[in-house]
Amino acid sequence: QGVQGSPFAGPKKRAWTGVSLPTTNHAAREGGMRRDLKIGAGHRLDVKASGVFVLGIGDGNKLLTDLYNCHLTKVYTVGGLFGKATDDFSDTGKLVEKTTFDHITREKLERILAVIQGTNHKALLMHSNIDMKTQEAYELAVKGLIRPMGKSPPIITAIRCLQFTLPEFQLEIQCLHETQQYLRKIVHEIGLELKSSAVCTQVRRIRDGVFTLDDALLRTQWNLQSIQNAIWDCQLKVKTEIEKTLGHQDKSHLHKMDAEMAQTADS
Amino acid sequence: GEAEEAAPVFQYAGKAAKRKDRVFVWGFCYSGALGVPSFVKPDVGWKKPRRIQSTPYRLETEEKISSAACGYGFTLLSSKTTDITKVWGMGLNKDSQLGFQRSIRDRTKGYEYVLEPSPIPLPLEKPQQTRVLQVSCGRAHSLILTDSEGVFTMGNNSYGQCGRTVVEDETYSESHLIHQLKEFDSRVVQVVCGQDHSLFRTKKGAVYACGWGADGQTGLGHYNITSVPTKLRGDIAGVNIIQISSYGDCCLAVSDEGDVFGWGNSEYLQLASVTETTQVNVPRHLPFKIGKVKEAACGGTGNIVLTEEGNVFVWGYGILGKGPNLIETAVPEMIPPSLFGCSDFNPDIRVAHIRCGLSQFAALTNRGELFVWGKNLRGCLGTGRMEDQYFPWRVTVPGEVVDVACGVDHMVSMVKSFT
Repeated sequence: QGVQGSPFAGPKKRAWTGVSLPTTNHAAREGGMRRDLKIGAGHRLDVKASGVFVLGIGDGNKLLTDLYNCHLTKVYTVGGLFGKATDDFSDTGKLVEKTTFDHITREKLERILAVIQGTNHKALLMHSNIDMKTQEAYELAVKGLIRPMGKSPPIITAIRCLQFTLPEFQLEIQCLHETQQYLRKIVHEIGLELKSSAVCTQVRRIRDGVFTLDDALLRTQWNLQSIQNAIWDCQLKVKTEIEKTLGHQDKSHLHKMDAEMAQTADS
Repeated sequence: GEAEEAAPVFQYAGKAAKRKDRVFVWGFCYSGALGVPSFVKPDVGWKKPRRIQSTPYRLETEEKISSAACGYGFTLLSSKTTDITKVWGMGLNKDSQLGFQRSIRDRTKGYEYVLEPSPIPLPLEKPQQTRVLQVSCGRAHSLILTDSEGVFTMGNNSYGQCGRTVVEDETYSESHLIHQLKEFDSRVVQVVCGQDHSLFRTKKGAVYACGWGADGQTGLGHYNITSVPTKLRGDIAGVNIIQISSYGDCCLAVSDEGDVFGWGNSEYLQLASVTETTQVNVPRHLPFKIGKVKEAACGGTGNIVLTEEGNVFVWGYGILGKGPNLIETAVPEMIPPSLFGCSDFNPDIRVAHIRCGLSQFAALTNRGELFVWGKNLRGCLGTGRMEDQYFPWRVTVPGEVVDVACGVDHMVSMVKSFT
């Protein structure tokens, strides 16, 4: 089965697992010869999470690698519920303790968020391996472009409260090198800092690097035409981001992409 | 399920849980200025003395501290309490800048170094009514501002910086002398110590000075010492000054209209925007076109101002905060707000206050975050690293930073806990 890859938006409550994708006419046109195309997955989304999930197909896999090496941030909306703590930090886990939460105000929550952001900001600069005594470091810091370009622990680059109606709250978290479980743990720790407890009710990725929910295809759009359009629509911004971040590196993947884009434009 | 419903609910904080006031200190320990005796004299035999505390360390205090000041190797803390003890001091006391600190071993002698916050008794007429509003510390002298009994001065007076006649061959160590100043055109609302001079700002908007004047830092039109607080004129005559600052030998004043005035040392381009001379002994208006200024702070070689719009400008010489390439400028340069955390994600962050030590700067944001930059003399930046910092860098403090005092090689901050 030949299939083109593109960013998918998983359904709200269920994660995307396996799916049978439509066959193309490609095989038929080529006189019945089958072509196997490799499908690669981008950053993981665990079973309890949902949201933007990026795939690469064929040559797109090399772009996936390039994008991985750009170490771009991801953005999640994370739902939380005050009043209990569970063993796996989610609302479906085994209850560990119940606590009061009527003393919690939005203001108090936002103060904790400010600390999280502050400590993570320092971690960001520390792991970016830049010599802080250079003018280059200053320029990058001003533009907010300092970030680790190699392995680092999870780092939260920005966090803010979107909604607050006790006992529920919703956060928007921008991060790097994270796992969804790490984000659930953050919710748990926020509960502790506020002298209560909290569990995570939802983790939804709304952005992965250059891909947003708007780029993503819904279940109903998992057909060849939509997929082809989706790939086409994002090509320029993927290329731009890779060039911007990895500009000095070997651009052979990009040259190939250029050639393809020129070809398709002609046809 | 049912088990969950039946589970007991724990309460860790009641609705009325109040946030706590705390003091954090960091920097050079051996002077005693941090107020933690175990840093200098470990309480356990095998522990070594700690020379530098490179990150914020919590200092236990008996009262809520409302004002702190860092001198050259010593610290003053004050509270607005009506209790008898309103001011505490620690660190170097060779000039009695912390008042007379009676030694326990020999009650006729006073301590040269005070290792923990120790009460400074003030000769108040109404000790249970009068409140201390603010403290300030210089190289070897201190100023204490009260709400109704004027200003008290202590410490070295070789140049008249304590506002009293210079006594030849006076011995300043182990001195009980605390002088009171009351002769101003109106109530004094702010006191500032420069290195060896003192500035006083009154309710009517006037500025008075006394002390060392060789760099023109007294702004009185001469380069001599002054031992009686005298009103400044020059470009600030008749102007309503709402804030003054000094720490080295340069001085800045801000008017209610947002104008900046400077006098004193200009060897480092601090006043080069109006003059080529390296000493200015009369207040001069600095014609900067940066918007209305709200607050100014002077360091040893660099200056900083905060505008009404929340922008931060620096000028002078040294590590100014815009990377290693900016070493000196006579004209203020703006530090990009993004360095203080302002971004698309957080567009409402603003710098609320700026402070200066001898060779470092501090900025406090409206979110209670503390940023520092400059020379990291003996860990005084509090970043946990020993390197100098060429652009604003967050200091991790477990609480909302309400105010910070900067010295030569140490800092003190007043913090409110988060919850």
